Amino acid sequence: MELNLTIKKFHEGLQKKEFKAAEIAEDYYRKIAAEDEKIGAYLSLDKTDAISQAKKVDADLSADKEINFLAGAPLAIKDNILIENETATAASKILKHYRAAYDATVIKKLKEADAVFLGKTNLDEFAMGSSTENSGFKITHNPRDLERVPGGSSGGSAAAVAADLCVAALGSDTGGSIRQPAGFCRVVGLKPTYGAVSRFGLMAMASSLDQIGPITKTVEDAEILFNAIKGVDSLDSTSVDFKHKIQDPRFKIQGVTIGIPKEYFQEGGLSKEVSGGIDEAIKSFKKLGFEIKEISLPHTKYAVACYYIIMPAEASTNLARYDGLRYSRIKGEKITNLKEIYFDQRGEGFGPEVKKRIILGTFVLSSGYYDAYYAKAQKVRRLIKEDFEKAFDPSANGVDVILAPVAPTTAFKIGEKTTDPLEMYLSDIFTIPVNLAGLPAISIPVKKESGLPVGFQLIGKAFCEDEILSIGKQYENNV
Amino acid sequence: MDKLINKKTLEHLAELSRIKLDEKEEQKLLKDLEEILEYFNLLKEVDTENIKPLSGGTIKQSVFRGAEAKNEFKKEKLTEQFLENKDDYLKIPPVFE
Repeated sequence: MELNLTIKKFHEGLQKKEFKAAEIAEDYYRKIAAEDEKIGAYLSLDKTDAISQAKKVDADLSADKEINFLAGAPLAIKDNILIENETATAASKILKHYRAAYDATVIKKLKEADAVFLGKTNLDEFAMGSSTENSGFKITHNPRDLERVPGGSSGGSAAAVAADLCVAALGSDTGGSIRQPAGFCRVVGLKPTYGAVSRFGLMAMASSLDQIGPITKTVEDAEILFNAIKGVDSLDSTSVDFKHKIQDPRFKIQGVTIGIPKEYFQEGGLSKEVSGGIDEAIKSFKKLGFEIKEISLPHTKYAVACYYIIMPAEASTNLARYDGLRYSRIKGEKITNLKEIYFDQRGEGFGPEVKKRIILGTFVLSSGYYDAYYAKAQKVRRLIKEDFEKAFDPSANGVDVILAPVAPTTAFKIGEKTTDPLEMYLSDIFTIPVNLAGLPAISIPVKKESGLPVGFQLIGKAFCEDEILSIGKQYENNV
Repeated sequence: MDKLINKKTLEHLAELSRIKLDEKEEQKLLKDLEEILEYFNLLKEVDTENIKPLSGGTIKQSVFRGAEAKNEFKKEKLTEQFLENKDDYLKIPPVFE
């Protein structure tokens, strides 16, 4: 069954009365029933609410009411984002029975826009991983090649979009978890600036790095979804009120300089297939009239080490709340000693990667090691951020955006990287620096004839999502 | 050089983290953590003299705000999934025995 709808096509079809929202939602559920068994994108579906929401939009249309751009659009939501009354497991056994008590702010906004939520998608447990193989429940397969991983941690959302099991999806990105799976699955993924989108109702992994963002079929859809979820929120004190700067939607190509960081091609073990794809993308931008300039981000090689100190430190603190007392329980037997409950529930409920990061985080924060690891990493984080600031600095003839590979390789085989922890961690070398610096970046598929998907990133200045989206659309529409 | 994390340290960290580990998990963690900590040595070559730590992603400054109750959430929804629930409070075994 071919639905192949973008948010835009869906909206236009609804307006022209080519179909009804409820029919399309039913079609997607039929498609999920037929195809998701081999892909494994979804963890749970909520057909009753989705169909009733879609019917409400159909009723509005019949009554000739104005509808929102996202009205009736069938979306998939990563299972670490809360939708009231729906299961929210973060793919962890410790939350197997948990139902969200309230809506995340992004969900509240999408509900106000009358969007439809088809279901919740698979991820690496608590978003810790780069392949969705760390899910406590099941493995998700890459729709472009079922023997390969979809990337992670938002692998379920990227796979659902790539396999056309939804119109668009939400993911979350702490070190590349939106962009890398988007790249592996040949879809678009936007990691917004830190503070652009409220994190309220996103289960926290590393609070100074986490952001929610869209995974979509087109750059245009990413823009629509981003505009719907962004904005300041009193429930997230790090969220920021910001305005779009570009008035001309076409942006000024002639004046735009794209920077290519040389370190990304020297370090990180870029595969031939990826480097060929990136070269193609650079050529296309040159043809479009953009100026290309080599730049340097000298601290790139320290980003992964820096990240794997800061992220576990924050995660070990954030995950302390899962005590087996407050968010449902996983085992029925009655234990009467408080400490025993913690050990029992956390020992049983957390998977190996989560345990590893909690223990690593506890270690780097412990007295005696704090300065050597955590404080050191925070200093290196500043240097990484300053690398970007210098590259963008207008007074030093800086560039407008940066183009870089998303991952060093194309999607790897399921099981290929599960034994060596470092090998998996290093697959995020090109996405991690962006989170450490708090910048926006969009992952866009390279247009090519054959082979596995390759993605490139456009990294922008803080709160300049409109610029990377605009340049991304130039590529999407004109190449 | 002595290992930074030996079996005894690991068990202490697991105790602090309230995570039960079996023997197999301990062995795997010891191996993985050693490899990861070894990799962290890379940071030693970065000169961070006079560099101020960057503590978070936000550009905002901490501010005071009034502590007002907003009652935006339905209390029973937050409490209904407690392991044990007494008059909308979380009931737990005694902390001190």
